[in-house]
Amino acid sequence: MTVEQDFEAVDQFPVGMRVLAVDDDQTCLRILETLLHRCQYHVTTTDSAQTALELLRENKNKFDLVISDVDMPDMDGFKLLELVGLEMDLPVIMLSAHSDPKYVMKGVKHGACDYLLKPVRIEELKNIWQHVVRKSKFKKMKSIVIHDESSQGNSDQNGVKANRKRKDQFEEVEEEDEERGNENDDPTAQKKPRVLWTRELHNKFLAAVDHLGVEKAQPKKILDLMNVDKLTRENVASHLQKFRSALKKITNEANQQASMAAIDSHFMQMSSLKGLGGFHHQRQIPLGSGQFHGGAATMRHYPLGRLNSFGGVFPHVSSSLPRNHNDGGGYILQGMPIPPLDDLHINNNNKAFPGFSSQQSSLMVAPNNQLVLQGHQQSSYPSLNPGLSPHFEINKRLEDWSNALLSTNIPQSDVHSKPDALEWNHFCNSDAAQAGFIDPLQMKQQPANNLGPMTDAQRLRSSNPNEGLFVGQQKLENDTMPSNAGSLDDIVNSMMPKEQSQAEFFEGDLGFGWHNSSLRTCI
Amino acid sequence: MDAHVAQLQMQYRNYILSLYQQGFLDDQFTELKSLQDDGSPDFVAEVLSLFFDDCVKLVGNMARALDQTGTVDFCQVGANVHQLKGSSSSVGAKRVKGLCINFKELCEAKNYEGCVRCLQQVDIEYKTLKAKLQDMFNLEKQIVQAGGIVPQVDIN
Repeated sequence: MTVEQDFEAVDQFPVGMRVLAVDDDQTCLRILETLLHRCQYHVTTTDSAQTALELLRENKNKFDLVISDVDMPDMDGFKLLELVGLEMDLPVIMLSAHSDPKYVMKGVKHGACDYLLKPVRIEELKNIWQHVVRKSKFKKMKSIVIHDESSQGNSDQNGVKANRKRKDQFEEVEEEDEERGNENDDPTAQKKPRVLWTRELHNKFLAAVDHLGVEKAQPKKILDLMNVDKLTRENVASHLQKFRSALKKITNEANQQASMAAIDSHFMQMSSLKGLGGFHHQRQIPLGSGQFHGGAATMRHYPLGRLNSFGGVFPHVSSSLPRNHNDGGGYILQGMPIPPLDDLHINNNNKAFPGFSSQQSSLMVAPNNQLVLQGHQQSSYPSLNPGLSPHFEINKRLEDWSNALLSTNIPQSDVHSKPDALEWNHFCNSDAAQAGFIDPLQMKQQPANNLGPMTDAQRLRSSNPNEGLFVGQQKLENDTMPSNAGSLDDIVNSMMPKEQSQAEFFEGDLGFGWHNSSLRTCI
Repeated sequence: MDAHVAQLQMQYRNYILSLYQQGFLDDQFTELKSLQDDGSPDFVAEVLSLFFDDCVKLVGNMARALDQTGTVDFCQVGANVHQLKGSSSSVGAKRVKGLCINFKELCEAKNYEGCVRCLQQVDIEYKTLKAKLQDMFNLEKQIVQAGGIVPQVDIN
């Protein structure tokens, strides 16, 4: 959508706003459709979430807004919500008869712009267009800003520094919004809109940084590697700045914990700083096997989880286990015994650390594995290896940390005691939202079973009754109608014969073809 | 003729009011009526038709679910109740909706006897409502046939 088109559309807006309404309940759908028409929106309806997705995928520019019921047989409304948000970035409004706040919370967390309770009133629908305006305004501002940025600033540093403060402020507001689930999402409250660092975008960024090396990574090169349209060097530069500062922050903080676990176990083995070299050496040995020993093992979860955020976790591990492998990702993974890919995948499912892509892991793992071998060849204090010189600085810094740590006696304690979750969330603004919705995408695999009885039951209504979805249901399906004869229906039928005949008569068009005699004076 | 129409209209008005007073219908029904206009003159009839179709279907599902000789899947029953609650509240079927709320609790409590009884009540209730609305539409038809227009009934 070009800016010009936006302006044109705004003239008539919200009249003609294109809404896609999804609800498996035909009664509600019909009412919703009429209500929306009454608001002068353009309405498309479907009773299947799957169809809705197809329609949207076909052409995401066909619709401005999606309204979806929560309980649907073929797909959970929340899942649809996530997918629409992720793939099409359209505003989605949830609709449900559940007034339970936990459902509302769920909707909000999954990124719903609004949550309406059935029965929906026309007043509520009259205002939904604001969600569309918000989103498109945000996008517009973003694109305008990007143009502005590219005309500003010459060097990366200048641009970054100038923008940094604004962006930090912006990010804070952004993250708060994210954590509140977009409830108060208002672009005008933010200083300056910026590129939305989605998971995919961030992964690309990480891959590029990893490839170049954190210290050596330059925004221009990162940008080239990322190869993303409309992304400017300034965007990357500021993102990189934040990345680095967050890394630093976390490393510093995590050092205290990292040291407790890892240093403690190894510190005892050392008698002097010099022994650090031996320490390094020792640490390298188990790397191949991917095994930590001692307290460091407890850190594995934590760091790996962090890797999911953006691979910055390892520094605090590596602080105690200074460099073993070196490249951009290596810095991050230094000293960290690279677990086999499987482990990383396992951690993908760890609720706290979603979103780690295997692609990324291989990027990280492979070069490190190679470097591990190199590391092994070092016999002396290894950080000065010229072959690994790009990361000498990093190594040095890490060693400094280690030195500092070694000089203090820090009692061992559980690394997990201080989650650092906030740090990461603050950095990667989309993380919170991702953590929110990516989880369910994976977690849904299990709850799907719990939902099974419900959804399947609903599926029963429309699908082939002989499918026999559950063990319990099997009997039901085999019996189907005949079994009713002996029970509820009988009771009901016997009680109301008159009603039934009239009810049957009632089938089809209401209000047509009736006998006057059926009129009862029961006033 | 006019007197006849007037009489019918009066009858109609009273009938509608009684439906509200007796709790068969609520505000949502009024909303529904307000959506009906020249562009969609049969809107209310259409929607109610859909609703009663839904009722038949859902009650049937629930009856089957509760009729299992093995373990009863209360989740499934609950899901159907939830659906019915949604649609009944959307059309303004007040009594049906009220029953659904109770029904839901019974499902959650896995109260088999309670559920069965409640389902029977739901069945009766929606059929009763259906009949009453039939009468209402009938009256409307009579009025129109007699040359009059169906009055807008103001619910206080």
